[in-house]
Amino acid sequence: MKISIHIISFFLGLLIIFGCSENKKKKQEATIWKFSKEIPLGNISPIGIVAQGNFLWLSDVANNRIVKIDIDGTMIESFDGFQRPMHIAIQEDKIYVPEYTSDTVKIIENGNISTYSLNEQPDAIGGVEVYGEWLAVADFYNHRIILQKDNKVSIIGKEGHNDSELYYPTDVAIKNDLIYVADAYNNRVQVFDFKGGYVRMIGWNENIKVAIGVKVTDTQVIIADFEGNRILIYDLNGNLLQIILDKFNQPTDIEIVGNKMYVVNYKGSSISVFYK
Amino acid sequence: MKNIFKQTGLLVLILLFSVTSSTEVNAQTNDQEFTYVKVEVKGLACPFCAYGLEKKLKEVDGVKTIKIDVEEGLAYLTVLKSKKPLKKTLEKIVTDAGFTPSSIVFSEKPFTLRDED
Repeated sequence: MKISIHIISFFLGLLIIFGCSENKKKKQEATIWKFSKEIPLGNISPIGIVAQGNFLWLSDVANNRIVKIDIDGTMIESFDGFQRPMHIAIQEDKIYVPEYTSDTVKIIENGNISTYSLNEQPDAIGGVEVYGEWLAVADFYNHRIILQKDNKVSIIGKEGHNDSELYYPTDVAIKNDLIYVADAYNNRVQVFDFKGGYVRMIGWNENIKVAIGVKVTDTQVIIADFEGNRILIYDLNGNLLQIILDKFNQPTDIEIVGNKMYVVNYKGSSISVFYK
Repeated sequence: MKNIFKQTGLLVLILLFSVTSSTEVNAQTNDQEFTYVKVEVKGLACPFCAYGLEKKLKEVDGVKTIKIDVEEGLAYLTVLKSKKPLKKTLEKIVTDAGFTPSSIVFSEKPFTLRDED
């Protein structure tokens, strides 16, 4: 009797272990991005990308403009006269455009362009992010992030290579009250809280060459490695989930819409599309 | 009738000649107004670097045009001859922009850019 109970327990145990590993496998498969297609962009030299409904907005740095395209790459609208627009952001119907040359942030809303008033002087804004009433800019030459809400300003980071120090930041993203900085020439993404406290570092072990762009979703941190021609995907704790190679030509930025990922290629003048 | 054709043809030739000459004169005037500078830079890797260097070089007094060739690591400047910058000044700007200048060449004639080849 005792032996049969032991045998039944053994098989039950095996079933549970097998079931768990299958679930884990299915879960992992759900997080894996697969290549879908490439959208050519003609003479656009893209840096930043954001989605708005069925449309994508791109910053075209070489041509000093912001363009709106459909999901096939057809240009719908173009706003000219920007001074080297870089990593853009979107909040509701407002497109936030950092001008690298003029050190200002412009806002496109219903076809009109206005200027966001910054209280701190940056030197070459690489990227902008909006989070509630907060606006954050990656201040490239001052090696810092400027956070502003109304007239309140706080500074995150200073020049250097240690934890909490930055070296030519190019992009910034905010999710769940954490600030993710593309610490481009420190070859990593650094995570800070709103008090400027260092939280963690992501990407150091993967020998990123230039961490030029960062996108954060509810579950993933996605990094564009410009020189390495690859996209690296991590969970929110910085554990590596996937590295995508071979589909890029100097990738600069990432946007996620539902189960699709759009990666812009600066040199390739294209968008690589992935699904999961 | 033949004479009329001859006279018209001659007039057209004279006009063409005068237009060509004036373009050359203008070109000479432009060449006399400007100094052309080619800066070779080490470490120019990404668009943030290239446009960063462009931003800093715009601060050069008298600069008219700047063209950056990222792949070749070159910056081309057209500067008013009356405000020709010192080599030292340019070296400092390039260094402050985060790069190492490897050579700076001044010329009285425009450089041939890769796009124009």
